[in-house]
Amino acid sequence: MLFNSIGFAIFFPVVAVIFFLLPQRWRVHWLLAASCFFYMAFIPAYILILLVTILIDYFAGIYLERVEDPQKKKALLWLSILSTCTVLFIFKYFGFFTGSFVGLAGLAGWHLSRPALSIILPIGLSFHTFQSLSYVVEVYRGNQKAEHNFIVYATYVMFFPQLVAGPIERPQNLLHQFREWHAFHYDDITSGLKRMAWGFFKKLVVADRLALYVNDVYSAPRNFNGLQLTLATFFFAYQIYCDFSGYTDIALGTAQVLGFRLMENFETPYYSLSVSEFWRRWHISLSTWFRDYLYIPLGGNRVSKQRHIANLLFTFCLSGLWHGANWTYVFWGFLNGLYLVIGWLTKDWRTRLWEGIGLHEGTIARKTIMLCTTFLLICTAWIVFRARSMSDAAYVFTHLTTGWDFHKIATEQFLLRQLPVAIAAIIALEIGQLWNRVVSVPSFVGNFPTPARWALYAGFVMTVVMFGVYKQMQFIYFQF
Amino acid sequence: MSSEESINQVLSARGLKASAAQPRVMLEEENNGRVLVAREGEGREGILEQWPAIGHMACFFGVLILVSFAFNGIITSGFRRVKTSEFGALNDALGGKVNAQIVITGSSRAAAHYDPRVIEALTGHSAFNLGRNGSQTDMQVAFLKAYLAHNRRPEIVIHNLDSFTFVTTREVYDPVQYTPYLYDRNLYDALRKINPNTWKDRYVPLYGYVVEDMRLTWITGLKGFAGWSPPEDHFLGFNPRSAKWSQEFQNFKAANPNGVRFDIEPAGIEVMKDLISVCRQNGIQLIFVYSPEYSEMQSLTKNRADIFNLFHELAAPAGIPVWDYSDWKYSDNQAFFQNSQHLNATGAEVFSEDVANRLKTYSAARFKAAQDEHLPVATTIDLRN
Repeated sequence: MLFNSIGFAIFFPVVAVIFFLLPQRWRVHWLLAASCFFYMAFIPAYILILLVTILIDYFAGIYLERVEDPQKKKALLWLSILSTCTVLFIFKYFGFFTGSFVGLAGLAGWHLSRPALSIILPIGLSFHTFQSLSYVVEVYRGNQKAEHNFIVYATYVMFFPQLVAGPIERPQNLLHQFREWHAFHYDDITSGLKRMAWGFFKKLVVADRLALYVNDVYSAPRNFNGLQLTLATFFFAYQIYCDFSGYTDIALGTAQVLGFRLMENFETPYYSLSVSEFWRRWHISLSTWFRDYLYIPLGGNRVSKQRHIANLLFTFCLSGLWHGANWTYVFWGFLNGLYLVIGWLTKDWRTRLWEGIGLHEGTIARKTIMLCTTFLLICTAWIVFRARSMSDAAYVFTHLTTGWDFHKIATEQFLLRQLPVAIAAIIALEIGQLWNRVVSVPSFVGNFPTPARWALYAGFVMTVVMFGVYKQMQFIYFQF
Repeated sequence: MSSEESINQVLSARGLKASAAQPRVMLEEENNGRVLVAREGEGREGILEQWPAIGHMACFFGVLILVSFAFNGIITSGFRRVKTSEFGALNDALGGKVNAQIVITGSSRAAAHYDPRVIEALTGHSAFNLGRNGSQTDMQVAFLKAYLAHNRRPEIVIHNLDSFTFVTTREVYDPVQYTPYLYDRNLYDALRKINPNTWKDRYVPLYGYVVEDMRLTWITGLKGFAGWSPPEDHFLGFNPRSAKWSQEFQNFKAANPNGVRFDIEPAGIEVMKDLISVCRQNGIQLIFVYSPEYSEMQSLTKNRADIFNLFHELAAPAGIPVWDYSDWKYSDNQAFFQNSQHLNATGAEVFSEDVANRLKTYSAARFKAAQDEHLPVATTIDLRN
């Protein structure tokens, strides 16, 4: 079920009202039932795949707690990880790896045919797989007690607000909340609803409007001029941010209405002054997952220079592969890793350069240049991420500055009259974010007298309703 | 320390809030960092104590729903006030303001090919073009029925044929164009047959305007409410195309080097029979016209002969003439076309003259035949003047 669907508009209030009416002991059962229903609205049969992952890690957690011998414990951990990852591999990467193998064999002169097996990727598979893995590792490390109540554990993996696109929660943050009392709390509910409204604004008004342009251009980049390619790339940067952070806002708001707290996933990442800072503020739950469960176990930065570089590049390539079974994603990950490596290697040199030209740390000019440079680098990487193939990406790269025609901006789906709406939406987003950095906007508006407050809220909701785009726009990150 | 204070501490330590209105909470177990709080009936008490807050929220959402209905009404009313463009043409047609003697029905090809002003000038009789962009025969017939429900019956209906005449609508093109007119039973029923969810467009406020349309067309309705109409691009329903020959056909050829086949659906045949029946019941002379199509495209339509045979099979028993302009004098001249299916404005002007002259001759012959056979001449329109 999509958050931006009529189904969800009926589903969520029903779930919330019944949740608060139920006695505590039935609430988690209700949440699990609701989560199953939510997931089965996509492709019902795929809940069985989720069940396999849940069962593997549920029993793995219990046995990991019981086993004393470190060798056996480690073996059990790896068995659990491999089993969970096998499910992910079959459904997400089988086609990619066999296709790559066939391609490679072709280069060597062996003409193999691709397997006819075609599997539809279960929605959000990478998210709940990683959340499940996180639980097993934390139990192995002794940071989390194994969950013996199957219903509670299954709800932890399947909790509908974050089931299909995160945040990828750690058991320490979420698991205990299913055992806690969640009172009907008016402030929590209204705060959650406000957060959801902001998320819907990002998704429907900004992301999906920009998607009309981006989809047109990136589906056949050779039909568009440099201005259109540049505009589409700029729009995509906002589209993917608003799509994903909008989803996160809706997820966090939904959970908050029910009294749950999920981790923050974004901290205005485009205000970052370096790529490494960007990755600390973008998809935080995934970045920290890779940091905690891959990068640091590999040795992190406490190893030789070469090994550190290798660790960074490997982690980012894998992060790219996590996003999708395509070489464009792997290259996107590699590019980001490369940014970090170059940034790290040139740090001292750049500092001397800044000082040399008189732009000391903290000056507005230096910050502005750093912010713009970071944004440009990220946008460049987004080209690879969004392009359908490496050749499309190469075409976009090489034609960004050619053939600009200011009379030819519109596309088939994106008429010229939509451009002011799209630009206004981006400006409204930035004003909202900047304002929220200075003062909490919901608290600020909350102090207004009721008629003014209601008028503002109603105006905002109507803006989202009227300027939103609703046509079958799935959240980008659902596919991962 | 009371149990309530202790749970509040536990909750606040986890970053959670416990409200003053929160019901009594008993901490039953605290073990391994897990807090188990469970007592039968607590949830029910919690929500029941919050009725004023729930009422407050219900009021707010009630206001939102009212605002949505009001907005929906304003936009619908605005669209119906528009005097120009496709909405202006539809407002005239469904508002009973047309009452033309000659009506042209069909798809975008009809809309772009027949200039009623030329036909009026040459025949001296009022004409109106009901052709709709993106419509298939099922919707074209629905439009004719809607037109007949609000206007005096025409003497002649020219139905423009296409290669895809026997293909029924799978997805409604540009559904927002219909939203202001869903009160019309003929349109509504036809749309529901194609998309059962059309009821949402009619009854859920704003759904038809914002969910079904991504291009902010509702702004036109809002402007219409304020008395503003968009620039005119429809002349008595005729929608000329100013664009010159585009690359569309080359792209099409590249994508379909072996040509294409258009389905002949039984449902599509039934729709054509319905059209014939509607005209017969209303005493309207129906004429089938296959308006010009770029010559190279004709050879790419693999089952063109089958489609034309069916046109004649349907037309002959009902005495409907079929005027085929496949071999029109400019069919191979790109200067008269925008793409393989659509004439440009220049082509439309020339073609409209040809049709009007033929119509005049045809009617004269019909009129004379009727007189010779002492048939009531009222069944034919006299276009001789």
